[in-house]
Amino acid sequence: MKDVSSLIAGTHSRRQFMLGAGAVFTGITLGCPALAQSKELSIISNIGNAAQRDVLQRIASEYQKASGVTVTINNMDHEAHKTAIRSYLVVGAPDLCFWFSGNRMKAFVKRDLFDDISDLFERENYKSVLGPSAGAVTVDGKQYGLPLGGLLWGMFYRKDVFAEKGWSPPATLDELLALGEKAKSAGMVPVSIGTKEMWPAAGWFDHMNLRINGLDKHMALMDGKMSYTDPAMIPVFDKWAELVNAGLFGQNHTSFGWEQAAAALAQKKAAMMDLAGFVKYGFPQDQVDQIGFAPFPEITPGLARYEDFALNSIHVPKNAKNKENARDFLAYFYKPENLSAFLEAESAVPPRNDCPPSKDSLVNAAVESLKSVEGSAQYYDRDTDPDMAQEGLKGFQEFMVKPDRRDQILERLEGTRKRIFKA
Amino acid sequence: MSGFWRSHRAWMAPTLFILPGALLFGIVIIMASIQTIWVSFFDWDGVGAMQWVGLANYAQLFDDPQFYVSLRNNLIWLGLFMLAPPLGLALALLLNQPIRGMRVMKSLFFVPLVLASVTVGVVFTWVYDPSFGLLSLLFGYFGATAPALLSDEHFVTFAVVVAALWPQVAFCLVLFLAGLNNLSEDLIGAGRVDGARGWPMLWHVVLPQLREVSFIALAVTVIGALRSFDMVAVMTSGGPFGSSTVLAYQMYEQSIFSYRFGYGAAIATVLFVIMAAFIAWYLRTLLKPERESA
Repeated sequence: MKDVSSLIAGTHSRRQFMLGAGAVFTGITLGCPALAQSKELSIISNIGNAAQRDVLQRIASEYQKASGVTVTINNMDHEAHKTAIRSYLVVGAPDLCFWFSGNRMKAFVKRDLFDDISDLFERENYKSVLGPSAGAVTVDGKQYGLPLGGLLWGMFYRKDVFAEKGWSPPATLDELLALGEKAKSAGMVPVSIGTKEMWPAAGWFDHMNLRINGLDKHMALMDGKMSYTDPAMIPVFDKWAELVNAGLFGQNHTSFGWEQAAAALAQKKAAMMDLAGFVKYGFPQDQVDQIGFAPFPEITPGLARYEDFALNSIHVPKNAKNKENARDFLAYFYKPENLSAFLEAESAVPPRNDCPPSKDSLVNAAVESLKSVEGSAQYYDRDTDPDMAQEGLKGFQEFMVKPDRRDQILERLEGTRKRIFKA
Repeated sequence: MSGFWRSHRAWMAPTLFILPGALLFGIVIIMASIQTIWVSFFDWDGVGAMQWVGLANYAQLFDDPQFYVSLRNNLIWLGLFMLAPPLGLALALLLNQPIRGMRVMKSLFFVPLVLASVTVGVVFTWVYDPSFGLLSLLFGYFGATAPALLSDEHFVTFAVVVAALWPQVAFCLVLFLAGLNNLSEDLIGAGRVDGARGWPMLWHVVLPQLREVSFIALAVTVIGALRSFDMVAVMTSGGPFGSSTVLAYQMYEQSIFSYRFGYGAAIATVLFVIMAAFIAWYLRTLLKPERESA
């Protein structure tokens, strides 16, 4: 109980307390029946889209029928889940939960909140089918989760609009600027972006930095080993400011979330958008096949192609009640046919190399494109420290509105970096 | 047993009735507050080990430009929220007429009180939306382009406060309406006999009787302004780039998103001190006349 009371006391508003109390209460209601009998399995899911939730529910019911284990799935809002997981992993953990691999997973592994599932890896021989994506769930040679769908970030456009206007996806920054002019004269926003939740601005930063400075320097920055006021940063922000000042991103993007930005692309009000395969949620079902994918344009000629490739994941919490059931379900859920059905709903790239070929054109475009990728980061707020990410996201959003404040913003980020990484 | 009860009833009954409330208040408010102040001296991520840092969190806080933005926004909230009691009083006087259909009017004015503040926030976000919002339609009618209020660092706090004022005015309206129902007919009659009408009547006869209600309205409004959080979270998440953040939201953001519970606790403590100062002043002014009349 010590942990509970100190968690609650972290902030003194009553709302926070209610949140904590709610978490404890769910914990009790989730936990008690599990103590009574072990034929139970509880999953907390953060899946936002209905189609993918249905697939998970279907797999769970099939598993329930085959094994006799009662599976309970608790759906949470995707953003709210990011904060709730911190309390439920400590008090009232489910048997399985969805999360993000890489640095975000490591944060919980370090605090001993995720279970080591190397035994499952061994038993099911996952290493042979997973390839490099196994690395994203490995800490010190042990596996702490199973990688799920990979999201390859890049530029999306409408094939019919591009065909009608005779445009082609830009391969260089100059072509992007030229396309921007054409789009503006056609009355369209060149690049649709919604920075209300801030992270899309950071994604744009990732792409610019990966194209100009390459993966090693980018990762050094993410790990806090490189300064935000380093001279290598200057061309990134120079070029970015050029794009902002050319009116590439339209106005008032801080008022919109990515959903509205994607809708603008679907409604032919914008020419392109920087996102991953889930851009299709913004499109009506019958127009999804019009979505085209192109990698982010080249900036430094000849630089190897590095991309943001974010891997979601699923984990067994350390405090789970039914760890054996959880492993058993994972093995079932991770069968190629089940996994690929689950991932196709969000057009994510399957981590297993023995999944059946996808019928989804966006998945296939991403798989094809990945062949020429030399190395990958995950995403700004997944790669760097969460505290740093919060300041960084804010800074990049501000830069996209007020590019002339660059020096102030970078000074501030550098101050934050020094505080967090004790550099 | 019954003999024991009879001889001790005088103090046991009230104690038993107060105990649950006092216990809850002690744990949820007093203990939590003390623990918050304690946590503010530590570097703590909310899960792992706590590390004593003394006053370092406060030193950082007073160095943090975001803190001053939040503080300034809290002052804007406080200043604009002061409009709620007079507006509520004006509406109450207007609605307190024995006219047919006034009940319907009254209930229309109560509507924002029924809505959850999250709903009010979402509705106003739509009103302000630069592409399809009511505001942009209104501006478009006159051939102008509506400003994107929630995207502008100078307007955004005012836009959020206006949304929050709507239910707050309705709340003050309810308080004053209740107060107006309890006016002493004798005093008003006496005032009439002495020739008071209009302003003098309001100022010298009605308002003094609304003194207690006004104090409650003022206190609720000040506290509402200082603990403003939900509207900011729903409408802007503190953005764009932190320009609409208030202290309560900054505390939440630092604790939950940046995993800095010690720093968040330091912000909470500062907010607590500000509120405590106000409440001390409030209780003093409220209790003084009561003590004098006793």
